[in-house]
Amino acid sequence: MCGWCRANNQPEATSCVTCGAPLDVRDKVSDSGWRESPRLRDMTELRFSQSTCQVEGELVPVAEIALAPQDGVYFEHHVLLWKDESVPLSSLKTNGPRRSLGGMPHIVSVANGPGRIAFSRDAPGELVVLPLHPGMELDVREHAFLLASHSITYSFIRIKGLANALHGGNGMWMDRFVTSNQPGLLILHGNGNVLQRTLGAGEKILIEPGAFLYKDSSVTLQTKQIQLKSGMLGHHNMYLAEMTGPGRVGIQSMYVHHGSGE
Amino acid sequence: MNTYVCRFCRQPSDPSAPTCPLCGAPVDIRDSVTDSGWVKQPPIRDMAKLQFGQSHVQIAGTMVPSAEFNLAQQEMVYFSHHVLLWADPATKLQNMSMRGGWKRMMAGMPLIMMEAHGPGHIALSDNHAGEVIALPLQNGQSIWVKEHRFLTATGNIRYDWTSNDIWYVTGDDNEQETHYPMGQYGDVFTAADRPGLLLLHAPGNVFIRDLQQGQSLLIQPSSLVYRDATVRVHLHLEYPRNQGFAFWRSNFDYRNIFVRVTGPGRVAVQSIFERPEEMDMIRNHSYATRHRW
Repeated sequence: MCGWCRANNQPEATSCVTCGAPLDVRDKVSDSGWRESPRLRDMTELRFSQSTCQVEGELVPVAEIALAPQDGVYFEHHVLLWKDESVPLSSLKTNGPRRSLGGMPHIVSVANGPGRIAFSRDAPGELVVLPLHPGMELDVREHAFLLASHSITYSFIRIKGLANALHGGNGMWMDRFVTSNQPGLLILHGNGNVLQRTLGAGEKILIEPGAFLYKDSSVTLQTKQIQLKSGMLGHHNMYLAEMTGPGRVGIQSMYVHHGSGE
Repeated sequence: MNTYVCRFCRQPSDPSAPTCPLCGAPVDIRDSVTDSGWVKQPPIRDMAKLQFGQSHVQIAGTMVPSAEFNLAQQEMVYFSHHVLLWADPATKLQNMSMRGGWKRMMAGMPLIMMEAHGPGHIALSDNHAGEVIALPLQNGQSIWVKEHRFLTATGNIRYDWTSNDIWYVTGDDNEQETHYPMGQYGDVFTAADRPGLLLLHAPGNVFIRDLQQGQSLLIQPSSLVYRDATVRVHLHLEYPRNQGFAFWRSNFDYRNIFVRVTGPGRVAVQSIFERPEEMDMIRNHSYATRHRW
């Protein structure tokens, strides 16, 4: 069984067919329980529905999708790296103006099979492959999702609370991905290294908001203020995201600090 | 009796461990040395642990590594607030008193340093693809670090900052600009009364060189990561011979700007650095050696 996505694999398999995680290496977990997302090997192949995805490169990885007929993926239009001429593109119905006001891409594009199409973002980092089982809800930081398969319902939610929206550093919106009775595949791009921790019910962790990448929708987010004094120059407020379990939280180790821009 | 000295942190270490418990450098690898004598700083292995006092730090990740601290009671680390990745709610966070806030702000240095007191967990990371460098400091040892390379230090390491005195002025009579190619100020860390641990973060790869007494090298000013306090630094200007491709430039404004580092001592450079600025004529500068080809 794959330790990352819990899918069953053939005993002789060296990487998980569902998420691509290497099966012949030990999980890397720090003392405080943060687990590194699996470092996908170059050219790892994984399956979803009738289609396949191959991950190429290690510094700024590319996800190359071979779409079967009847399958499709959706994505923010600026992550499209290349595609076969025959692959048709359309757009997903979203509340465009509302998205634009929130600084999110106005259009979410859809590519349908058959054909090949590839995606990448523009920063050194890791692809985080998250196969979603039926009945799951996952919240993702805006501009972090690379692609999702057609069986996953896409929406976006407003981060509640004025303090969260203004000081949270996560923007005003989060992408929400929901599966109903079909599984699906969600691929994110995390800047730097990606770490995941599973919080128990009521367990809390404080996170730099810029580092937040994804969470189960059962995890609540609340902005916490820490006041820092700098002598004659007054005081500064520092804001951290307080995450409360139960559920998974994913963070990225490279981020733009929301307070200083560094 | 332990006789092994780690080739990177220069401290007595444990030869039977896979990594040096003080700086995290792998023990079981050969030196990677270029023909000219630069030693490649080996990346700290994923999940390697370094011990300091009763606490330890674990380095997680390889591309943009994070340093995850397990702080014991009565022990603390300090850091610039923008490198905080996450913290246990139990960890006590507070700001550190600093002198010269106005100068620091004007020089673009971090204005606020935070302290994290144990017991508890906390993790720090910078935002560049590169390496975390661990520098254990012995009692009384001092090291100069380029600004913005500091990640964190243990509580017993004294922090100070000093003017680099490496500058030049460009412009005309109406408007002049002062440039600080190595930064206006540098950080100085000293182990005050007992050994401590200093962590830096450098973009790209890091290379170290030991300079003998009087030996000097010319390096890009922004590539310097750290140097021993015994290494002297000053500006060096080189004017290539004009071969006609830039006839509108005089020999005095078409130039390369280096710093000359002179031993004895250790210097470290990073492979990612800021590109030199536009080539305006230098009107004034700090002490410099010059060479015209």
